[in-house]
Order: sequence, then structure tokens, then C-alpha cells
Amino acid sequence: MERKIIILLLLFLAFSAKAQEKEGSSLFTDRDLYISGETLLLKVFAPIAEQSGIVNIDLINREGKKISGIILEIIDHQADGFIYLPDSLSSGCYLLRTSTKTDKTSTIKVVYVTNRFRGLPESNADWQPSGIPSLKETPIPNLQVEGVEMRYKPRDKGHASIHIPAEILTQTDGNLSVSVAGITPEFTSATYLQQSAAKTSQIIEKEGIILEGIVTDLKTAQPFKDAVVYLTIPDSIPGFKYYITGEDGRFFFQLKNYYGKIPVVIQCFDMKKTHLLKIALSDTDSLRRGLPAFETRTFQPELRKRVEKNIDAVTFRKIFNQQEITIQPLPVIKRDTYPYYGVPTKIIDPQLFIDLPNFNEISKELLPGVKFRTYNRIPTLQVFNAAQFYYFNDQPLLLLDGIPIRDLNVIKDMGTKDIDKVEICQSERFYGNLIFPGVVAIYTSKADYTRVPESDDLIKLNLDVIQPRATLNNSTAEQLSDPDLRQVLLWQPSLKPEPTITLDFQTSDIRGSFKLIIHGKTKDGSIFYKEQIFEVN
Amino acid sequence: MVYKILYITTLLGLLTATSLIAQEDIPKNWNTEKIKGTRLIPYATYSGSAYLNEKFATGEIEFLDGTKIEDLKLRYSIYRDEIIYYNEAISSQIIIDKISLKGFAFIDGNGVKRIFRQQYFNGFMPGNRYFEVLSDGDISLLVYRKVILQICPVYTNNAGKLLNMSYQEAFSYYFYSGEKGYELTRLNRNSFLSKFDKPIQKSVKKILRKNNVSITNEASFVQAWNLIKENGIKINFSK
Repeated sequence: MERKIIILLLLFLAFSAKAQEKEGSSLFTDRDLYISGETLLLKVFAPIAEQSGIVNIDLINREGKKISGIILEIIDHQADGFIYLPDSLSSGCYLLRTSTKTDKTSTIKVVYVTNRFRGLPESNADWQPSGIPSLKETPIPNLQVEGVEMRYKPRDKGHASIHIPAEILTQTDGNLSVSVAGITPEFTSATYLQQSAAKTSQIIEKEGIILEGIVTDLKTAQPFKDAVVYLTIPDSIPGFKYYITGEDGRFFFQLKNYYGKIPVVIQCFDMKKTHLLKIALSDTDSLRRGLPAFETRTFQPELRKRVEKNIDAVTFRKIFNQQEITIQPLPVIKRDTYPYYGVPTKIIDPQLFIDLPNFNEISKELLPGVKFRTYNRIPTLQVFNAAQFYYFNDQPLLLLDGIPIRDLNVIKDMGTKDIDKVEICQSERFYGNLIFPGVVAIYTSKADYTRVPESDDLIKLNLDVIQPRATLNNSTAEQLSDPDLRQVLLWQPSLKPEPTITLDFQTSDIRGSFKLIIHGKTKDGSIFYKEQIFEVN
Repeated sequence: MVYKILYITTLLGLLTATSLIAQEDIPKNWNTEKIKGTRLIPYATYSGSAYLNEKFATGEIEFLDGTKIEDLKLRYSIYRDEIIYYNEAISSQIIIDKISLKGFAFIDGNGVKRIFRQQYFNGFMPGNRYFEVLSDGDISLLVYRKVILQICPVYTNNAGKLLNMSYQEAFSYYFYSGEKGYELTRLNRNSFLSKFDKPIQKSVKKILRKNNVSITNEASFVQAWNLIKENGIKINFSK
């Protein structure tokens, strides 16, 4: 009896732990077939149980290599964004993958991209995924779409009224996504779920992305404990964070409220100064598992014709500089009012004085309480402790454009022309558990931190953080002389559900089949959709 | 045998389910905002105290962006108007940068929570100051606790040294409104009554009399103000 109870208990625990695993996200794109140089618009419905506030969308090639990626903020279990498809992409199938730091299932959608300059392969065949258990969606019958004609002329005005019954309205979780875009019946993409590779991190990205990596001993390649890792975001008031590694040598930084692309410098050093270290960021660039099997398939002749027309349309849009989307202004984030190293005691602008050739001269002539000397070709730097009237024995925190540097040789040749200003803190500064015996912060004239050398223990990168929101550029009806070659007539990824939603769109000069499609999600996590196809000719 | 297999499979299931959770040992406060400050240089020892709380008291600080750090060992220097915390990890007394804080609070020796707010004072010697909040609301009752080092009759300290300086209290009490600013007051009945218009003073007196409150010290002053505030009576700012 006891054995049975124990087994039941263990089974219950095992199942309850497994029950926390959640289903994958739902991923929708404006189209399935793209031309390089276009913008892919996408919408993600995250599972209800998803705790992460961030979702990564990666564009991966057939070999599993990441081509590009975006990071989106999940708001009300939803996210929307865009991916620029570079002109350098070769024609072929690509995979769009959603992932979060902790999810166990990724959603992968297959799209086909044709290179704008080379077109479809000469062989009229290409590798396409096979044997994918594609996710099936079920249309919702009682969602009414009215007012959409079966046929439109180019540059015609279209109108749609979506009637959402009360029972769907009460069950809808968050916003609806509505799009009107050209379709290619000759190519249908597949979406499937894939078990993610085992995650090294269990930190949930609730607010902002988490940057993680590992510090190892340069000689032994073993994880290094008690390494200090600095993260700096160079700016007029630099952002700064630090982490002290544990036994596993890992470090984590959360970047909250940063949007777009930001410069980041990550460096590490041994507190005891006895070991040389190496720093590396976690690799998330490839899809090691989950690549579907590919087989060669021949294209239908209609597809080739359609692709050729699309290539022309994209090329014309490029010539007329018609942007597909407009990036919304970044939210104004209130950041620190003063630098992490404190309010400077003195601020010196060397350019207000006579030209001096190097930092030694500048410190002697212009910087009160800063002693920069070279003994036996080894430079030293000391700052005066104004509170206790002595020079600190240890080297102060030396910053170049906000980035801490320890090698004084980097600054020794800096003359007046190279320096915009020098900020000095003549006191012992504390930042968390870090102690800085005075601070000398040099801001360069170029402000490009190129003087900071990259090494095993320092990484400089332009980091993609949360993608800013974008809206689709609508028809420029007033410019009648310009061709209107929009493939996407309407893209509203976050439409508030109401009993009746009215939508207006204008057809472009593109002829062919278009589809109006509405996607939504119920509170139990299931996706519903309704679509209506019409022709433009 | 069947039982053994069941045991092993369930245990394996449990292990795989929980292995990820046990992977890391991330420090508890890895992502909290870091306290910025400078080292405390001890003050000269004279009669009286430079601190509101001589011993470090458990408290919390709130940064300008609203984030809080709790369970800190805090000591408030009323001589320099500085909040000091003890960083156990590096065994240092650190003066927290005033401009980084919205306020702080700690539990004093009597178990009373003392709440302080950092705000700009535009009167004599303008600047950012910590005010203790005695009563909060549209009109707050604040006190700027301050000791000054003054010359006093000569005395001998514990080390047998003759000294003629001591820390002496110079607390200032203010009514504060976001719109109208500061109104200095003193801890007596007349000063309190003078803050009200003549016709209202009568009803103020009545309320105080009814509740048997006579203003003689800080506690009775706060009690009187809270009673008046409850009755919806507002003070008259002179500016």
C-alpha cells in the first residue's frame, strides 16, 4: 500500500512539473512568398502560460544558420513586428522561428524568398520542406465579414465590416490581427511546432532582454568564479551594470527599456588580477534542431510568372523610394540623471586651453588632482582624495566614453584635439559592491570608442534590442503619377475587438488574388481566423 | 520488479522535470538597482549626536524611478543631512547620493517607522533636503531635522579632553503644499493658530478643545494637525 502511495505521489509530482510546459506560439506573416529587399510583417500570439515578456523571431536558412532576428515585446500575450529581407538573400525556403528564453516549444513557419536580381532558380525547382506535420487552423464560421466585393479594379476603394458575435467577443483574448495582402495559390507555406533545444537559462525575460554569457580562464578554458563583468552602454550619460560570476562562470544582464540598436561593451577581469580571462556570449544564432527534411520540388509555371511580376514591383518601389513601413518614434524613457560614477567634482574641457600633445601634459597642466606619470615606460594614474587630502594608492576608475578601461596605454597619446571633456570625481565612489578610488572619465571628440581595443576579455557589439513598433505605409493616392505597387493593402496587427469593426483599404496597381484575413485568440488559447479572397484586375 | 521499474521511471521523470530548475545559482539581487554613493568620513566627536539614530536601523530606500531596496542598515546624519547605509559585503559605511533618492524609511529604536522624503527647499539655504514626513496629504507636515555644531560652555569629554563645541538640535517644521511651497511653523499653539484665517481660528480652537489637545510638543502638534485635517480645514500659506 505504502509503495503504491509513494508511486502515485511521484507520478503526480512528475506530471505536475511537466504540466507547466506550455504550447508554442502562433506565428502569422502578411504573405508566404517574398522578394529580397521587401519587408516581412509578422504577428505572434503567445501562449497564455507564457511568462516571458520578450519573444525572439529569427530568420533561418535551410542549413539552420540565422540570417537575421528581431526581438519583440509581448503585450497582452501578443507581439507584432517586421523583418527586412536583405537583398543579398539567395532564392530559397527560409524558416521563421519564434522562441523565448524559457519556452520548450518553438513555432517555425516556412516562407519562400526570391532573390530580386537572380529570380527563381533556372532549373525551375528548389528545395522545399517535406513531411512537416503542419499546424491546421480552423476557420470560425459565425464571424461575419461584409462589404468585400469579389472583384476590384486597380486603385479601387475597398471596405469591409467585421461583425463579431457577443460570444466570440467575450471569449477573445487581446487584440485581433487583420491583413489584406496578395496571395500566391501556387505556393503554400507550412507552420509547425518544434521542441526547443535544452535551455541553458531559466531566467524569464519579463522586462527587457537578458544578455548572458560565460567567463572562462584563458589558459584552462574552465568557467571562472569571482570574475567581475562590466556591461557599458556608451552614451552622454553611460549606462552601466556589473555582475560577479559564480562557480559556473555565467553572467546575466537585463536590458530594460532599450529599443532599436544600441552599442554595448562587455568586459571582464579577475578581481585578484592573477588570471587572464575570456568572455563569450551565449550563442543563439542557429537552429541546431528542428530543421525539416527538404526535397526538390518543381515550380508551377504560374508561380514563375507571378514572381517575375513581383520582382518588377519591388524594383519599381525601390526606384521610387516607396517605403513599406514607418517606424514609430521610440518611447521616451527617463534614464539616470547623472552618471553611475557620480556627479563629477571637476569638468575640464581641454579645448578651451592651449593645445597639449598627450595625456601626461594634459593631466599636469589642466587636471586638478589627477597624477598621470610614466615610470620606466609604465604609466600610472592617481586621483586626489579631496575628503581626506591624500592621493589614492590604487588606480582610479578610468573611463573612455563611459567604458571602463584598465590599460593606461590607451590614453597616453591622447592630446587636446582628441578630448572633448574630462570629468573627475575626487572621492571614493561606490556602485553596489564596487569601490572606485576616484574617477577619471574622458569623453573623446569622436565619441566612437574606437580607441577601446577588442580582446579576449572585451566584446564590443551593436546589440539589437526590442524592435520599435512600425505601421504600414498606406497608399499615396495623391501621387497619381507614381506607380502603386503595394502587395500588402492593409496591416493592422493590433485591432481592438468590437462588435463591428469597419476597415477601409485601397487596391494598388498589382493585379491578382488578394486575401483579407482576421486572426484572433480565445481566452483558452486557441486561434481563430476568418478569411475572404477577392480579385483585382 | 514492476515496482522497481515504476520507481525508476517516475524518478527519472522527476529528475528531468526539475533538472533545469536546479541548474543555476543566480544571486538574489543580481538585477536590482545598485546604490551609488561615497565613503563616510567620520565626524568629529562632540557632545550630542550627529545622527538621528545612533545605531544602524533596518529600513528601505526608494530611488527616483520608484524602485525600492529593502532590508538595508540605515543611519541618518542630521548634521550633514545624509543617509548612510552599511554595506556588509565590503564592510563600508556609504553615504547614498541624495540626488538618486526619492526618500527612505527606517524603524527607529522605539519601533516607530520614520519616513523621509527628498525634496527641493527653496527658502533660506536652498537645495535638496531630506524632510521627515510627520503627516502626509495635500498639505504635509514636514520636519527638517538638523543639528548644528555650535560653541558651548567648556566641558570635558570621555577622553579627558576639554571641548567647547557640541551638536545642538535646530529642527524646522513646515507645512508643505506642492503648489504653494513651504510654510514655516513652530511647535506652539499660537504659531499653529496663526496659520489659519481669523474666522476659522475659532473652529480650530473648538476642535482642539473638544479633543482635549494642547500643543506642547511634536507629538501633540501632529495630533492637532491631523484633527484639523480630518475636519477639512486648510491652512493659509503666507506666500
